[in-house]
Amino acid sequence: MSHVATDMSGETGGLRRLGRVTAAMWRLGASEALAYRAAMLVWILTTTFPLVSLALWHSLAGGGAIGGYGRAEFTAYFLAAFVIRQMTASWVVWDLAAQIASGDLSTLLMRPVHPLLHHLMSNLAALPVRMMLAVPLGLVVLIFVGDVEADAGLHLLLAPAAVLIAWLLNVSVQIAVACLAFWVTSSASLFELWLGLYMVLSGYAVPTGLFPAGLAAVVRYLPFHAALGFPVELTIGRLSGPEIAAGFALQLLWLAVFGALALWLWRRGLRVYGAVGA
Amino acid sequence: MEPVVEVRALCKQFRVPRREAGLGAALRALFRRQYTTVEAVRELSFSLGAGERVGFLGPNGAGKTTTLKMLSGLLYPSSGAVQVAGHVPAQRAPEFLRSISLVMGQKRQLSWDLPAVDTFEFNRVVFDIDARDYRRRLDELVSLLAVGEVMRRPVRQLSLGERMKCELVAALLHAPRLLFLDEPTIGMDVAMQLSIREFVRRYNVEHGATVILTSHYMEDVAALCPRILVIDGGQLRFDGSIEALTRRIRPLRRASVRADSLPSAEALAGMGRVVEVEGGRLVLDVEPARVPAVVQALIALPGAQDLVVQDAPLEEVMRELFRREAGAEPGR
Repeated sequence: MSHVATDMSGETGGLRRLGRVTAAMWRLGASEALAYRAAMLVWILTTTFPLVSLALWHSLAGGGAIGGYGRAEFTAYFLAAFVIRQMTASWVVWDLAAQIASGDLSTLLMRPVHPLLHHLMSNLAALPVRMMLAVPLGLVVLIFVGDVEADAGLHLLLAPAAVLIAWLLNVSVQIAVACLAFWVTSSASLFELWLGLYMVLSGYAVPTGLFPAGLAAVVRYLPFHAALGFPVELTIGRLSGPEIAAGFALQLLWLAVFGALALWLWRRGLRVYGAVGA
Repeated sequence: MEPVVEVRALCKQFRVPRREAGLGAALRALFRRQYTTVEAVRELSFSLGAGERVGFLGPNGAGKTTTLKMLSGLLYPSSGAVQVAGHVPAQRAPEFLRSISLVMGQKRQLSWDLPAVDTFEFNRVVFDIDARDYRRRLDELVSLLAVGEVMRRPVRQLSLGERMKCELVAALLHAPRLLFLDEPTIGMDVAMQLSIREFVRRYNVEHGATVILTSHYMEDVAALCPRILVIDGGQLRFDGSIEALTRRIRPLRRASVRADSLPSAEALAGMGRVVEVEGGRLVLDVEPARVPAVVQALIALPGAQDLVVQDAPLEEVMRELFRREAGAEPGR
């Protein structure tokens, strides 16, 4: 009996410790994000592509709705795409691949905490700073464009979950690609390939609903859509109940696939780590 | 003494791509990459007791750093067994990581754009350091290394020496039982080298921690480490004290003296091997058994002063050791 009790207190102690460590990582990451705020602003400006799309489609829709999107719907869609891309973005692929190649990963490996947790927290910690920079930008565009239309309903309660899974999916893909750096040089440039497909197929530049019918059906099953298009459409209220359920199922499926792949590559990679100046 | 480090037949091979120079070779390598296997560590065996200060010596690429990284769990051994503080390092158990620390002169753990004190605070949480212990150790380390002001400036603005001192604080806050130092004084001026050396010795004595040091500065190793392991070509070439190594490689002792007039060349030849005779200064290599007689003769010279008898400098011993055939027998 007493044995069980110790075990349980060990468990909660472990959880409490994990909470403290996570909070400390968050604080360190947030301090770093503040130190890099200028670089962050530049990066955000490079991700304003949806706002360009917005201007384009907004004016095209002047002659009437396109594929179910009127001017106001386009505004809602691309503003949501801009903000959700900000919330789900990650740069772990560049950080981690560089750390593996240079051997700086050693610093993280010497700490009694999982190195990937460090990367997750440093991404998450930058979120408030990123939002502080991105939301005003979105608001300015909104004021400039004027009309917006989105349903405010129960689906908004589900949106945070979809955004969270989308973020985890992005991070998993990036970690998987970064781990290739254990074997090859410049693995991060492989990610450019993924990013190229993401730009086209995620609904970032064009809502996937506007694709030709056959193509749209395929594209909406891919991980790119799960990582952006789905949370965006969910947020602005364009999805029915069954569509929402299917979207979450796909998100979780892709997350499981890429999460498992990332962890597998990470474990295999550590065994060969150190061929270059670790 | 119960060993804290136990290494048996440890090997590490790296597979590295190779190609000839030139564009043609580069194109061929695109289609068929060739690899060579580098044997960084070969059949290394040794054990270290708690509280020892041990230096790894060897030329560049000898396998010192690779060994250190396997001891600290960064690299997986290709074969052989390693036990450190009762753990298999490559498993990187949190308990193991809390009991060791690795400081690399060419790597940093401090966050570049933040003051070092932010990393210290972070380590307090990550290494689960009790708040009171943390306060006490930080105060102690900060005053010993004199970084009270320095640790509040962004790390990128610190000098090399200041940064290394802060690295040491960060590495020691959790009071590791084992301290691995890889070229900790690289690029530093002599005063800074001395102060870091002194600090490490003190940490070892006061905490009973085991210290393993690699350094290009023989002085660091000679001053700090009663025991040295000489590693060359990934193999152990010598394990013992610096004196024992010197006796084996350069058994002759070196005597030097200044005098108003020096003995004839004939008389000198009877004392030992002449290394230098110039402007009233004489340097001789002497058989250990003949040292007392030679000292008496030298001291009797007219105007004799500055008589010194010493072992050959470690640098020379090492140079000679590595010049000898690789076939020389390893041993204790």
